[in-house]
Amino acid sequence: MVKYALQRTFYMIIVFLIITLMCFVLIRMLPQPILPPEDPHTKVIELRREALGYNEPYLVQFALFVKNVVTKFDWGLSEKLYFGQDVWSIFIQKLPASMIINLYSIILSIPIGIAFGIFAALKKNTWVDYTISTLTMVVISVPSFVYAFLIQYIFCYKLGWFPFLMKSGTDWFSWPMFVSMIPAVMSLSFGVIAGFTRTTRAELTEVLTSEFMLLARTKGLTKTQATVRHALRNCFVVIVPGIFGEFIGILGGSLIIERIFSVPGVGGLTLNAINGLDYNIFILSTCFYTAIGLAASIVVDISYGFIDPRIRMGSKK
Amino acid sequence: MTAKRIVALLLALVMCFALVACGDNGGTPVTSGDSNTPANVPADNNGGETPADEEETPAGMVDTGESYIYKDSVSTLASNWNPHTYQTTDDAYLQGYIDDSLYSLIFNDENHPVEGKETFDGYTIVPAMAAEMPVDVTEEIKAEYPQFGIPDSATSSYAWKVKLRDDLQWDDGTPITANDFVESFKRLLDPKLLNFRAADYSQGSYVVVNAENYAFQGSSTFVAGGMTSSELLASGLTEDEIYIDLANFWGITYDDGTTYGCITDDTMIRDPAVEEGQPEDYVSPKYLWDNYFAPGMPYEAYATDYVGTLKTYDDNYDFSNVGLLATDDNSLIFVYKNALEGFYLTTYGMSTSWLVKTDLYDDCLVESESAAGTVYSSTYFTGVDTTASYGPYVLSDYQMDKSLHLVKNPNWAGWNYEWINYVHPDDGETYQMYETTEIDCQVVEEATTRKQMFLAGQLMGYGLQAEDFDQYINSDYCYKTPAETIFFLLFNGYEDVINQREAAADFDATTHDLQMQMLNTFRRACAVAIDREDLAATCSPSRQGGYGFLGQTYIYDPETCAYYRDTDPAKRALCAFYSVNVDDFGGDLDAAVASITGYDAETAKELFQEAYEEGIELGYITDNNGDGVSDQEVNMVYALSAESELYDKLIAYFTESFDKATEGTGLYQKIRITKSAPLGNGWSDGIRNGLYDTQLAGWSGATLDPFSMADTWTRTDAAYWGQWWDANAHNMTVNINGKDLTMSIRAFAECLNGTMKTVDGVDYNFGYGQIDTDTRLEILAAIEQEMLLSYNCVPIMQDAGASLLSQQVYNVVEDYNPMMGRGGIAYMRYNYTEDEWNEYVASQGGTLQY
Repeated sequence: MVKYALQRTFYMIIVFLIITLMCFVLIRMLPQPILPPEDPHTKVIELRREALGYNEPYLVQFALFVKNVVTKFDWGLSEKLYFGQDVWSIFIQKLPASMIINLYSIILSIPIGIAFGIFAALKKNTWVDYTISTLTMVVISVPSFVYAFLIQYIFCYKLGWFPFLMKSGTDWFSWPMFVSMIPAVMSLSFGVIAGFTRTTRAELTEVLTSEFMLLARTKGLTKTQATVRHALRNCFVVIVPGIFGEFIGILGGSLIIERIFSVPGVGGLTLNAINGLDYNIFILSTCFYTAIGLAASIVVDISYGFIDPRIRMGSKK
Repeated sequence: MTAKRIVALLLALVMCFALVACGDNGGTPVTSGDSNTPANVPADNNGGETPADEEETPAGMVDTGESYIYKDSVSTLASNWNPHTYQTTDDAYLQGYIDDSLYSLIFNDENHPVEGKETFDGYTIVPAMAAEMPVDVTEEIKAEYPQFGIPDSATSSYAWKVKLRDDLQWDDGTPITANDFVESFKRLLDPKLLNFRAADYSQGSYVVVNAENYAFQGSSTFVAGGMTSSELLASGLTEDEIYIDLANFWGITYDDGTTYGCITDDTMIRDPAVEEGQPEDYVSPKYLWDNYFAPGMPYEAYATDYVGTLKTYDDNYDFSNVGLLATDDNSLIFVYKNALEGFYLTTYGMSTSWLVKTDLYDDCLVESESAAGTVYSSTYFTGVDTTASYGPYVLSDYQMDKSLHLVKNPNWAGWNYEWINYVHPDDGETYQMYETTEIDCQVVEEATTRKQMFLAGQLMGYGLQAEDFDQYINSDYCYKTPAETIFFLLFNGYEDVINQREAAADFDATTHDLQMQMLNTFRRACAVAIDREDLAATCSPSRQGGYGFLGQTYIYDPETCAYYRDTDPAKRALCAFYSVNVDDFGGDLDAAVASITGYDAETAKELFQEAYEEGIELGYITDNNGDGVSDQEVNMVYALSAESELYDKLIAYFTESFDKATEGTGLYQKIRITKSAPLGNGWSDGIRNGLYDTQLAGWSGATLDPFSMADTWTRTDAAYWGQWWDANAHNMTVNINGKDLTMSIRAFAECLNGTMKTVDGVDYNFGYGQIDTDTRLEILAAIEQEMLLSYNCVPIMQDAGASLLSQQVYNVVEDYNPMMGRGGIAYMRYNYTEDEWNEYVASQGGTLQY
């Protein structure tokens, strides 16, 4: 298993470097805007472009980039959006807000989603199941920003229960901060709850009708015992990787939700970096998400082996 | 086995979070001072008393003990408000709050009257950081500092001495001296820093002498020659000295990024816009010269913009040659490349927004290695710890992309300015400016959120969106702010292209027509068929009817805040265009102008019928069935930039107006406006090339220089109608000092903007300072009148925005002034303290009515 993980990690590094090189070259190939000749600032911008090495060959630029990252963990300075500031510092400043909002959302939504799914599966083909399934479909079909606006209108504007925006500051675990995050957390949670409800219901329904469940009941287990000990464990082969996936996703942020509730997160950073041709921010966020995505795939793969002993990692048989 | 699995899983999880953990500079996401402590308070071990520690309020600052918080919102929060590097208006958000200027504009209250102006109807220039108005020292500086190159003939307006106040200081109490200004300017221009704002001093009217040479030392730049190729060659330049602007003419650069090339260079450069193997996939500067710009070649005339010379700046230029000197702690001398005086000198020439706290600035410089060498950046003004204030407020809290907070700066010298207290125009009481004690600015990107927050009393203002107009446009709290742009309806007059379009295979000339719009009668009919005020109220309620080429906001004399539209020549031009006889109003020009609506349904009907008959006669349209109505629809294609509800409303309104005006004529229900596909920014070229017929377009800018707009209207490369209506080919006559002068409209426009023109052996220059202002106004009004009568377009709408202001505050000045706005935060007063406001909002059920 360890050998398998190390092997995957090695491959991950190779893939990571290839993706980074591709992104580096492609973003630098985007043409810089032609500058108006009559603008006095044109001269300064041209000189700065030259000083920044934009006119050097791409491979020379990439080599220097890799050298700086590897030797000094220096991801460079922002050249447009946050002029002159260290991009790693910017990224790290913006990451906690996204992480915490999404973390709260997952903590809230996974138990609720799984509980609804179990309840619907156990009450299959009753009005309870129909209600939960219908609501689930409705929630999945509507984008999260629609809930965001509704939540903001009802709970923040009409009822005045919560502030419109996430609180300023970095007291991430204070009560006022938590209260200010609730609308954003609720907006993010609906979709996740619905997703887990649907998955859990579908998997559990299938497992509950399996022959081994009949055997379990035949040997004398109660319905609860059979469900908890056998059915749930089997359906978690599908659910648990989903949970890992959600945890990985908490680093990604949500562009729309962050906009609506003024969450100072990483949601729009990559997009803004591309639009603003801020190379270093784009490269850092691309590297970050690439690494996260690759790592997530390893975590998910390995997690199968823990949930279902029949799945063996790295086995050639 | 289980242990191995757990180890493997842990390894994988660690990888996920490794990137998060490996940074050594994270975890400080907010730079924050104490909520009521000014920025840059020195560490408490420096032995000095910090401003925040001072218990006594400085002598000048009024502290009522009440809290008045201005709650603002922005879509994008500044990330860098460094006065040397900022680029966008977002970045300039803090300017005016944390900085100051040598001279300020204030409203003309009772204590500062302006002749001929009601109080608060104009403004006056007063010393701020300066102790007194500037003194002209041109003669002395010319004699003492020959390196500044002041012309021998110049006796005034090139060098000015400014005496500074002796109580200027930063928010931490550090004194500001004249030498700080000089050192700041030196850093601004420092060639290794490549500061964006350094370029502000290299071109234009406010150039400090030799600033450009210092900032760009050791580099070269392309300079357009402003001459045709023949003229360039005749000027004595050799071919080795002539260059082409490759980037802007052909969209190419050399591999090393160089944007210009010598016309003798035959290095082939790949043009990425052309497919490999196609003609001109590779071009060289020599090729471009030989085939486009050389004498006799088709683009010879365009050489004025794209062909020129190379300017090389000397290495190791000494800063002592730059025209900013500190002669003692309180005395600054500015030396300009061009003569400068009055309003422009104090307001723009002596803008010292580049003042920085040099020790902090130097600490914030960051060196980084690039593929081309070392490049410098700065973190100055990117957070509380790196921001130093010398204005009325100081940054106390900042979170990137989230919020910022400002509190009053007790160490601002301005609290002791003579003009800091003003007399209220309504109650006659004297108040100190800046009643606002704190400013809180949040990022709120969504308009719906802003609106809800405003209605819940959490924001001070809300810019109305299209869907809000019906509900709020007539609110007592709604303020309309006029903008410069006049939107006019364009007509296509490009006959060759119109004929080509009609000849196209898919054009059915039996049912459609494009040519009628070229008729002057038709255009005049359209002009009077539209009720401008009703159109604005229906389609865009924040705006209002537009009648001339220049709107209400243009100031021709900034010294006295005199508006062009208020002058007699401008009024007479409107009366002439709209055929209003002043004698019918007893000679009262104001009454005559006030009567103008631009709408006359009866005249429109007569003109449309006249146009119909003219069209039949010219063969543009037919009436084969003899019913007295055109067989063809006159089809005008509206050049759409993007789909929008406003365009739909406008087109529907125009169509309805034309239908109403053509009722009973041969064009009844025969004028149709159809939308093009969305063209983005390409719509303007589409109009200029005659491929589309109409748009509601306009120009903005130059609020303080309406004369420069005449240049835009008459330039063939700028005007929308430049391809088919040449202002060089249309003459007009203006009486100059009792003598009629006849020139082309274009020549008058050029002359009005400083170009010398010779007529009958007499030189004429009507530029700024060359002739009296009244004559310049007469010429400008005459050009405007001629342009209106050309009917290339008709003015329709004056641009404006509308916003709601919170019930918590009010502006001392209701009427908008293009220079002063409504006074901004300096003149804003509060109806409620914070506590009172919260109670009031709660008493209204949490939602306010506006």
